Amino acid sequence: MRKSLFLAVAALMIVSMALAACQPPAAEGPTIKTLKLNMGPGDIPTLDPSLATDTSSTQIDVMTFVGLTRQDEVTTLIGPGMATDWTYSEDGKTITFNLRNDVPWVKYDAVSDQVVQVTDCSETPAVRIVNAYDFVYGIERTLNPATASDYAYVLSFAIDGAAAYNNGETDDFSTVGVKAIDAFTLEMTFNEAAAYNANIAGMWIAYPSPSWLIDGDDCTEARGDKWTETGFFQGFGPYTMKEWVHDSYITLVKNPFWPGTENIPAAKIDEVTWTMLDEVPAFAEYEAGNIASAAVPLADIDRVKSDPTLSQELVIAPVQCTYYYGFNTTKPFVDDARVRRALSMAIDRQGLIDNVLKGGQEPAQWFSRPGLAGAPTMADHPDLGVKFDPEGAMAELQSYLDEKGITVADVDITLMFNTSSGHQKIAEAIQQMWKDNLGLDVKLVNQEWAVYLDTIRTVDTPQIYRLGWCQDYADANNFIREVFASGGSANPTNEDGSPAGGVMWKNDEFESLIVQAATELDPAARVELYAQAEEILVYTDAVMAPIYWYTRVSVTKPNVTRTYSVLGGQESVNKWDVTQ
Amino acid sequence: MGRYIVRRLLYLVVVLFVVSVITFGLMHAVPGGPFDREKALPPDIMENLNRRYNLDQPIVVQYGLYMREVLIPKCQDTHWLATTEDDAMIKFKVGNLYCKWMNFGPSYRSRSRTVNDIFRDQLPISMQLGVMALTVALIIGLPSGILAALKQNTIFDYLGMSIAIFGVSVPVIVLGPLMVYVFGVALGWFPPTGWGSQPPYILGFIPRNLGWDYFKYAIMPAVALGLGSSAIIARLTRASLLQVVREDYIRTARAKGLRERLVITQHALKNSLIPVVTILGPMFAALVTGTFVTELTFGIPGMGRYFVTSITNRDYPVIMGTILLYAIFLVIANLVVDLIYAYLDPRIRYD
Repeated sequence: MRKSLFLAVAALMIVSMALAACQPPAAEGPTIKTLKLNMGPGDIPTLDPSLATDTSSTQIDVMTFVGLTRQDEVTTLIGPGMATDWTYSEDGKTITFNLRNDVPWVKYDAVSDQVVQVTDCSETPAVRIVNAYDFVYGIERTLNPATASDYAYVLSFAIDGAAAYNNGETDDFSTVGVKAIDAFTLEMTFNEAAAYNANIAGMWIAYPSPSWLIDGDDCTEARGDKWTETGFFQGFGPYTMKEWVHDSYITLVKNPFWPGTENIPAAKIDEVTWTMLDEVPAFAEYEAGNIASAAVPLADIDRVKSDPTLSQELVIAPVQCTYYYGFNTTKPFVDDARVRRALSMAIDRQGLIDNVLKGGQEPAQWFSRPGLAGAPTMADHPDLGVKFDPEGAMAELQSYLDEKGITVADVDITLMFNTSSGHQKIAEAIQQMWKDNLGLDVKLVNQEWAVYLDTIRTVDTPQIYRLGWCQDYADANNFIREVFASGGSANPTNEDGSPAGGVMWKNDEFESLIVQAATELDPAARVELYAQAEEILVYTDAVMAPIYWYTRVSVTKPNVTRTYSVLGGQESVNKWDVTQ
Repeated sequence: MGRYIVRRLLYLVVVLFVVSVITFGLMHAVPGGPFDREKALPPDIMENLNRRYNLDQPIVVQYGLYMREVLIPKCQDTHWLATTEDDAMIKFKVGNLYCKWMNFGPSYRSRSRTVNDIFRDQLPISMQLGVMALTVALIIGLPSGILAALKQNTIFDYLGMSIAIFGVSVPVIVLGPLMVYVFGVALGWFPPTGWGSQPPYILGFIPRNLGWDYFKYAIMPAVALGLGSSAIIARLTRASLLQVVREDYIRTARAKGLRERLVITQHALKNSLIPVVTILGPMFAALVTGTFVTELTFGIPGMGRYFVTSITNRDYPVIMGTILLYAIFLVIANLVVDLIYAYLDPRIRYD
């Protein structure tokens, strides 16, 4: 019996090898420029612009689609995208976009190994040109409650009538302020005459989508949510998707039909592949010379900095995110602004960065990451917000203790964070700073991520809790207002407006400042309004303690010419080049 | 024997039912939901998401809907589309009806994929790695265990057991990156990460290419993963064989003048393998359904990741799918183990 089993296995192996030998040899074409990068561990959640929420998904989307406007990934300024220009109505709430009429929908054809234009169902098939109706379809699909798009809220918050359509109050999309005037003119009406409207109009959730591919038509079978899979995918940006092997890699190929504009040039590199590796193996691949750019794992930072070759390839670039501790302003001890200020001022942010984080992060003095439109910068507001000041911190705390007639030993404070060795290290370092600078013993507690997220959205939010925030669109509004305004992400309210969790805080002056800032059109005056709001948030009321502004520590091979996006992903790889 | 197998397979159905009820109840009872994000979603958006995935229904209804999709075939007179809703593990045609069966549902995290896709694309890779790791474990573990037992208290024994202790005490999380650095980066013998095969697979899991292009990816992870298991096998084999060679029937075999080689291979070894085979069942189930750390370290697109991330993400259909899959493998592996007992020890009869 053992012998027959052996024979079966041997036969199977021989058959398999014979089959392998039958595979055609790799085709040898003209040399093409290729580039291999890493996306991070785990599969890309989706390529569907209506459903994308994270940096890997949006990275592929900004390369394979173009929105009405395009935010420059380096300067964060808004430039033309599919809209060549746009005009504002008198009240500033309506924008009319004039679209390009020369951009075809394309797909990768595996048989010919080429990118081809998508044609319609007519008898003499005509090329499908991206038009205003595709935009309306894409926005309608994002807002349609059946699509269940996470990020639909950005549109429903900004666009006139979008909220009612998204929550099912009406199923008539004509009530929503998005209209195709003709094939290449799109009109969008917003709730406010806000400075960032043109920015939101360019976000991935407002990209056009191919209705014929998703819902099907006479010559195309409906693909539903699977329209972004290998073999089905259609787009029109500088690249299009060639192959997506889930959990393994994704390859984009140059779209020769993208006309190439001043701010969105045609691609120079023919094929770009992103692997989906964890940081440590990705760095090993980088050192083996197999991928062109990689993030540096924390454990390798010191070695990279001292290595003569690697240190030349190292770049520390800003990322639009802020790491912070929030205070539940209704809990004992931290219900007094002096205690919160004391805790915030006693954090030696630079020390934390130098000894724990090591990634060249910037000490955060306020919440809105400098670089965002409207956010104050360290150059023009060096003394704004909160700084490390142990004496000042001690004085604040002492004044509180004297008034209450208690000692520091009576102060019982708990800091909670989600379970992770990185957050643990930061919390322990800060716990030690509070001990050294204030004589205060703070307890550390951690919870598993999803449990933690539930905890910090109830009235039982711990006295101090950790969170971070990264931009959706590069405007201070996306930070200070969407997070800390009453009803914001870290300050949720019940339907009657009473606090429901998070920082549990409302300051009328703060609320009026951020509303004013949203519609202020003079950029300098806007920054001043946000600076005042930040001062209230991080110092006067000290609702949260900003800790650091994110950076990205990466190495790139010297043969790659590249740009560094500050948008958290969304690299414009079409601007890159490589010599081989 | 046939009746025994049928009985055990029926018992498998009961086990899977119990496992599914407990898992379904537990994962919904744990605080936190699949759509809790660092950026809290507004209530309207949460409602849309919950409605889409039937999470607004009572838990019993949700369980019923899930089990119906998995167990009961659905038929219609037009063919099923390649959408997430129409997906299923098995699609077939009966007369003019198009049928689908066993749909394990969508993944909440990967919006264009279903749990069926994960089974189709990721499970075969984990199975390949698992089978190779187990092979490595047996090739290293069995001989070194046997050698250590036969040459007890000699250099072979000490050497074998030292390697075993090393294998047990140095986990993949340490050995993996070390191997990647030494053999992948410094020496450049193997690609540091990746996997050499892609769907479709022969018989659902055997790669189409079995040359160097395939094995150059598989050698390092298979050795790293197999080494830990080989240590367990070696120690168990040694202990078991040492006990067996002291049995009376071994002395009898020797006394009747049987050659030492036959004594060991025919009498001692076969009987000493029972405890080893016992642990091979669960070991096999654990190895072939995916190993998180090994797959992460060597960048292998297998199932292992989903066992861990599905739980942190509260991706309910993926949790159900992975747990049920593991249960199936475990029960079947144990059944096979029981059948091997009967072969190893003729006194064991199941009828």
